Amino acid sequence: MAAAIPDYSHAPVPIRDDLKKTQAALLEYLAAPGSWFDSAERLAMAAESRQAPHCSLCQERKAALSPLAVHGEHDRARDLPDALVDVIHRVRTDPGRLSKAWFEGVKRQGLDDGPYVEAVGVVTLLAGIDFFCLALGIPPHPLPGPRTGEPSRYRLEGLSDGGAWLPMLAPEDARGPEADLYGSDPFVPNIARALSSVPGHVRALRELSNAHYLPFAGLTDPGARRNLDRLQIELVAARVSALNECFY
Amino acid sequence: MSGTTEGVEIDLSAINGALEGDGGIAHGALLVAFSEAVMAGDEAAMAEKRRAVIESLGPAAFVDTCAVIGSFNVVDRIADAIGIPLDEVLEGMSQDVRDELDLARFTAAG
Repeated sequence: MAAAIPDYSHAPVPIRDDLKKTQAALLEYLAAPGSWFDSAERLAMAAESRQAPHCSLCQERKAALSPLAVHGEHDRARDLPDALVDVIHRVRTDPGRLSKAWFEGVKRQGLDDGPYVEAVGVVTLLAGIDFFCLALGIPPHPLPGPRTGEPSRYRLEGLSDGGAWLPMLAPEDARGPEADLYGSDPFVPNIARALSSVPGHVRALRELSNAHYLPFAGLTDPGARRNLDRLQIELVAARVSALNECFY
Repeated sequence: MSGTTEGVEIDLSAINGALEGDGGIAHGALLVAFSEAVMAGDEAAMAEKRRAVIESLGPAAFVDTCAVIGSFNVVDRIADAIGIPLDEVLEGMSQDVRDELDLARFTAAG
């Protein structure tokens, strides 16, 4: 059954079909059981991420010279473990100042790599859809209802050190169930590999990028474009990234 | 602070929010202003710039702009939360730009 298309009736202009279908599929994917969290848990993380911009601790940290200088409790919407709430809130509200030391602290609180990556994927994918809606001038799409089923507990083999905070799947090691993960693209950027310990996230990110930005294979093609030309696309992308204080 | 691509000279200062004029990119100033309004969550500015983008670039390009804003709010967060390094290929393509814009100031603390 195809995912239900969200309501764009309040949009000021028509929305192209590939965007509608991609966002519908992404919301359905976020609501489905994942690798380490069931549907209800993933939806709770998604809802918590929407609460994060309203969190007074996050607002105070965002305004501070260093987030480490501000202590307290998050204003939370859901009863999730503390470490998970901190990940959700910090990734949503102040990603540019995340550090390896912070990540290692999160791990010491008991959040393993797999669940961490799954949480990051849920928060980030939803953030993209939410910012699209914000820019468009429509309310955020409602989250789907919970689905049945258990997490797969699928632990990917063959992860290796790619220079990130945690291991990723190299393109040459994408085989078997993961043979499709990176397509046949000659260039697989690190951003495509980042969430590879949760393969569903990689596929979801690729679909999002195809519809919202450019296919990963087109990144090195200066002539790639949409209704915006490549310079315009990259100007918007770069300004957003600068405002997010992201080096990538 | 400028760069040249495909024979077109562009003003890179837009990336750091210091653009004067369009910087060699069609409707560059407007695209930057709209992006900034969205990222600031400034409802009044968003409404104003939204209308201007639709009028100046057309509905389809406006939707593309919203989509890119959405996409990079995903990519940036993933990159920062996973601590991925910049790819050698992309770094090689952009090193002079990165130096000009002092993008190393965004490198996450170790």
